[in-house]
Amino acid sequence: MKPGPLFALPVALFLLVGFAAPIVIVGWYSLIEPRSFDLTSDLTLANYRAAFTEGYGGPFYWSIFGALLTTLTCALIAWPTAKMLHARAGRGAAIITGLIAVPIFVSESVRLFGLSLFMMPGGGILAGSLKALFGVSIGTVLNTKIAVYLGLVYVHFPFMLFPLLLGVALIPRDRIDAARDLGASRWQVLREVELPLALPGLAIGALLTFVLCIGANAEAAILGGQAVTVVTRAIEQRFSYAQDWPMGAALTMLVTLVTAIVVFPVLARIDLNRLIRR
Amino acid sequence: MKRRPTVPSSLRNPMSGALSRRQMMGGMAAGLAAAGLPMSARAQADQIALLTWDAYADPRLLDMWRKETGKDIRYEIHISDPTSVNRLRAGETNVWNFINLNNPWARQVLWPEGLIYDLPRDRFEPLYAQMFEKFAMPYDWALSEDGNNLLGVVQRFETFDFVVNSDVIAPATAKDEGWDLFNNPDFAGRYGILAYEDWNVMDICMGAGIHPYKPKTEADYAKFEETARRWINNAKMITTDFVQLNLAMLNGEIDLYFTGGTYTASSARAEGATNIYAITPNSGPADGKGGINWIELNSAVANPTGKEATFDFLEWITTPDAAEIVARGNGNLQPVSQMAQDEVLSRFSADELDAIQWDEFDERISNAVEFDIIPDYDRLYDIYSAAIRDRG
Repeated sequence: MKPGPLFALPVALFLLVGFAAPIVIVGWYSLIEPRSFDLTSDLTLANYRAAFTEGYGGPFYWSIFGALLTTLTCALIAWPTAKMLHARAGRGAAIITGLIAVPIFVSESVRLFGLSLFMMPGGGILAGSLKALFGVSIGTVLNTKIAVYLGLVYVHFPFMLFPLLLGVALIPRDRIDAARDLGASRWQVLREVELPLALPGLAIGALLTFVLCIGANAEAAILGGQAVTVVTRAIEQRFSYAQDWPMGAALTMLVTLVTAIVVFPVLARIDLNRLIRR
Repeated sequence: MKRRPTVPSSLRNPMSGALSRRQMMGGMAAGLAAAGLPMSARAQADQIALLTWDAYADPRLLDMWRKETGKDIRYEIHISDPTSVNRLRAGETNVWNFINLNNPWARQVLWPEGLIYDLPRDRFEPLYAQMFEKFAMPYDWALSEDGNNLLGVVQRFETFDFVVNSDVIAPATAKDEGWDLFNNPDFAGRYGILAYEDWNVMDICMGAGIHPYKPKTEADYAKFEETARRWINNAKMITTDFVQLNLAMLNGEIDLYFTGGTYTASSARAEGATNIYAITPNSGPADGKGGINWIELNSAVANPTGKEATFDFLEWITTPDAAEIVARGNGNLQPVSQMAQDEVLSRFSADELDAIQWDEFDERISNAVEFDIIPDYDRLYDIYSAAIRDRG
C-alpha cells in the first residue's frame, strides 16, 4: 500500500486533539472577561488591551531579547565546536559529543541548582574553592541578569550544537578546497560556501534555541533571583496567584504569535529534505 | 502554648476507638477482595485524593496510611489557597477528597458554597480536647458561621512573617523593629523575598502600616503601591525556594527575608544553622499586632466517592504516629496541635524544639493576628505583580 493521506490520519488526529484544540480553548479564554471562568459570557478584547497597557512590555522584552542573545551566543560557540567535532569524527569526537549531550537527560532544574551552587558566593563551589585553595575572595553574578544569560546559554547550547553538526556535515570538503584553490579568503569561504551549505542545520538550531528560550522561566527564577521578570513568569502569575485565566490566556496567545512570526518564515526557507539527505 | 489537661487514652489514640482491629481487618479484606475488581471501580472505592500543602504529601505518612488501611492515596500540592478553592469551584469536588487550607476558607467560602462536608461532631469534637487550649470548642474557625456544623480538623499552625540572620540582626531588635526593617534604607539590597505571593501582599500591607484583613481606602492603596515597589526593587533576590534564601543568608548575601517562619527556618536550624531565626514582630498595624498566625483546617471535600475513607483519614492524622510525621513533614519541623499531648511532644528532642523556637512559640502566637481572607485581594495583587514585572 502506497503511503497516502490515510497514513497521515494518526498524526492529524494527534495534532487536532493535542495542539489545535488547546490553542482554540486558550484563544477563547483570552476573549472572555478578566478574572472570569465562563466560556459562554460575552467576548471582549479587554485582556489584549491590558497586555499592551499594563506593564507587560518589560517581560516580553526580556524574553525576546534573552532568546535572541542566547541564540546568537550559542551559534557563535556552536559553530567552531561543530567544525571541530566534524573534523575529528572518530577521533574522540564521540566522547566530547556525549559529554555535551548527557546533561540533557538530567532535569533542567537540577542542573540550574547545580550551577547556582557553583556560582554562590562565600561557601559556593567556585568562591569557596578559590578562597580555600588560594585565599582569593571573589564576588558573584548570582541573582543578576548575567546569571540568567549564562543559565540560558548553558541549558540551550546542545539544542544549537546538534542540528548544527548535521548542517556542518552537509558541507563537502571539496567545495572548500575548490574555493581555496580559486583564491577565496577564509572569511569568504565561511560566508560564501560554509554558511550557505550549513544553513538548514543552523536555522533549525537557531529556531529550537529561540523557541525554547522564549518559554524559559527557570533560569530567571533559580539563577537570576528574578532580577528580570520573563513573560512566562508573568503568565504563570496570572494563572496562579491572580486566578486571572483570561489575562494569562491572552499573554499566552501573544507569545504564540511572536513565536509563529519568527518560526514560519524561517521554516519556509529551509529545505528539510536536504538536511536529512534525501 | 497552654496545654490541655490529660485526656483519656482512648481519645489520645482515636484510631483505636474509631476503628477496631476487626473493622480494620475487615477493611483490609475488602481491599483484597476489591483487588479483583476492575481498576476504576477499585480505585473509586478505596483511593482518597489529597489537595494539600506538602506535609501531608510526606511519603512516610502516605505509606503508613496504605499499610494500615490497604487503601491507596494520592495527592497534589497547592499553589495557593485561592487557586485550590477555585479548582473546587470549577467542579473538581469529584476529583479530591481531602483539602487542607488556611483557617478562613472553610467557614467563609467552602462550606457556604457546598464544597465540603461537615464532620460528625460526636466523632470529631473529642479530637479538639487533645489540642492546645487555643482550639477549645467552640473553635470558630472550625465551625460554620452559625456554629452548627463542624467543618474540619485543625492540625498545623504557626506564625509566618520574616526570618533574620541573628548574627547580624539581634532577634530582640528585629521583634521591636518589626516590618520597618524592610523600610530601613540600610537593608536595601540586603534582603530577599520568598515569592509566596499572597503572603507577600499581606506583609507589604503590614510594612505600609495597613491592616491586611480590613477594607482599604484609596490612600491605603497608594501607600501599598509605594511600599510594594520599594520593597520589590530593593530586594536582592526573589525566589520561590526558601532553601536558596537560607543559603544566601549563610553565605552573607542577605541578612533577612520575608515571608518566612518556622516552616522555612526549622530545617536549617535543625542542621545547626541556629542563626537563621524566625521573627514575629512585637507589634504592627493589625489591631496592634504585626505577626500573622495561620492555622490549617483539614476538611472533607463534598465528594460522595470515598467519603467514609476521608473521614477515617481525617481522624487518623491526629493519632500520635501520624501527627509526628505531619510535624516533620517533608523534612521541615512544624508545630501541630497534637503537641499539646505529652505523648507527641516527647517525641521531639531538645534540639528539634530549639529548631522550631518552641520556647517563644506562645509569645509569637500572641503577637500575631489570625490569618484571614484579604478584602480586595485582586486589586492589591495586581499592584504587587505590576511591581514585580517592572523590577529590572
